[in-house]
Amino acid sequence: MSALIEARDLTKKYGAHVALDRANFSVEAGRIVGLIGPNGAGKTTALRAILGLTAYEGQLNVLGHEPFRGRTALMHDACFIADVAVLPAWLRVDHAIDFVAGVHPRFRRDRALGLLAKAGITGERRMRELSKGMKTQVHLALTMAIDAKLLVLDEPTLGLDILARRAFYDALVNDYMDETRTILITTHQVEEVENLLTDVLFIDKGRIVLDSSLDDIATRYAAVAVAADNLDAARAEKPFHERSMLGKVVLYYEHPNLDRLAALGEVHALSVADLFVAKLSGGAE
Amino acid sequence: MNVPIWLVRREFWENRAIWMIPAVIGGFMVLIALFGRVDLMSIPSQVPIQAVGGGFLLAVGATFFAVMSIYSTWYLLDCLYADRKDRSVLFWKSMPISDTTTVLSKLATALILIPAVYFAAADLTTLIMAFIVSVRSSSSVDGALWHADLWLQLQALWLYMIATTALWYLPIAAYLLVVSAWAKRAVMLWSLLPPLTLVLAERWFLDSHVVASAIGERLMGYPAQAFRYDPGCCGWVTTIVDNDTITTPTSIWGFFNVGGFISSTETWIGVAVGAALVVCAIQLRTRRTEI
Repeated sequence: MSALIEARDLTKKYGAHVALDRANFSVEAGRIVGLIGPNGAGKTTALRAILGLTAYEGQLNVLGHEPFRGRTALMHDACFIADVAVLPAWLRVDHAIDFVAGVHPRFRRDRALGLLAKAGITGERRMRELSKGMKTQVHLALTMAIDAKLLVLDEPTLGLDILARRAFYDALVNDYMDETRTILITTHQVEEVENLLTDVLFIDKGRIVLDSSLDDIATRYAAVAVAADNLDAARAEKPFHERSMLGKVVLYYEHPNLDRLAALGEVHALSVADLFVAKLSGGAE
Repeated sequence: MNVPIWLVRREFWENRAIWMIPAVIGGFMVLIALFGRVDLMSIPSQVPIQAVGGGFLLAVGATFFAVMSIYSTWYLLDCLYADRKDRSVLFWKSMPISDTTTVLSKLATALILIPAVYFAAADLTTLIMAFIVSVRSSSSVDGALWHADLWLQLQALWLYMIATTALWYLPIAAYLLVVSAWAKRAVMLWSLLPPLTLVLAERWFLDSHVVASAIGERLMGYPAQAFRYDPGCCGWVTTIVDNDTITTPTSIWGFFNVGGFISSTETWIGVAVGAALVVCAIQLRTRRTEI
């Protein structure tokens, strides 16, 4: 399978500040990839570069296009929500649908209308009359009605309540996602997307610190909770992170020897959120 | 796929003032015609009837034209800036529409579509006003206002002005687009600052005023380029009223200086500068996404 997105030494500087520092990553077709990092790590800059919204150094290929020069062509096959609530206040819902139907060859009006009907949003209302959550849903309906190969979402559920968030992710996985599509998503709510991602990219200080599929994470990492008397033995197994919890110490391992660890305490798999915190807060003390 | 048409429709959705302002002006003028004093009889009867009607039509047209100039300036300064300010640029850029098409659609809206809307509004207003005035006053006025040739001339004048002002003011319009694509705030202030700085710097350091006169010529020089004032020519009538000699045109055809405008170096220097600034605005639109 060929890579849909291929970045080599992707670099972006804002004056003295380096937002992306020779980042290397690729995204394969048919995956749901989470781009995860703390604030200011370079997530948004990476997405902007992928979408052709900013110039950059290094090599970047998205769907066969050089995004900055070829944004117009790229947008036939890719769509994005780069930020929530960016539909202008004066825009009417029906006009928004007419406009996208008029300019985008891959837009399916019936699909957009169906999604809006589900959300209970109708016709002639202007964006300024809608709540932030409803505005987000209009934008999502417009975007999800486009038959794109690549969908990029930057914090797509910000401002939505828990019901709307759950409904959105269900729709994304059940109605939208199929083998012809690829989704790249950033979010602060790691726990929320953990179950739908197939791959994760951890980004920190402009560099990719982890590029892995979730299957790999499950086999490659493990954690063990040990009591104080087993701590020295557990530390000898070279954990890369540890934290204290309820009188026990939880130690994280890469390529663990599960048999030996099982003798020391309770072994469990690492969640993406656990791994994220461990990777980004440094090694074992 | 008619992307430019959708982009223009979008401009009309966003800027409802494009048609609301001329509608209000037109409505106001119709009110004046309905309730104001109609006193065409005080004009000396020696003055040719076409000149009376023409003067009336031109006065209405000039009012629309003046308001349009102010509105278009504001529109050009706002159009690329507003998208960045409310971040909706991120939505527009998610569509398969090039920045070139976007910028050109705004330019075309300002230089062709807005003038066309004002043209239509002025025409409609003058028609309604002429009808009201005719009904309210004596039939002798009819000859002044209901003159087929006069109306034809007015249409020609409007079309000629839309075409020539679009070319003449292209550098100004393109400059405003550059500011709109570039400024982070206070577009109005930023649009004035560079020319003012240049003018003052030149005056201070070089004690000359090349920039000032170039700007002045561009802003004020349009009538001199596009029209000729030649009372000796065709269509002029001289009348003597109370020992005063009044020379009035009865036709505007003689005023059009088509050949002079087209062959003027100044016209094409302006077009060249304007084109360069449009390219600049497109580049800024591509690179400057947010504020």
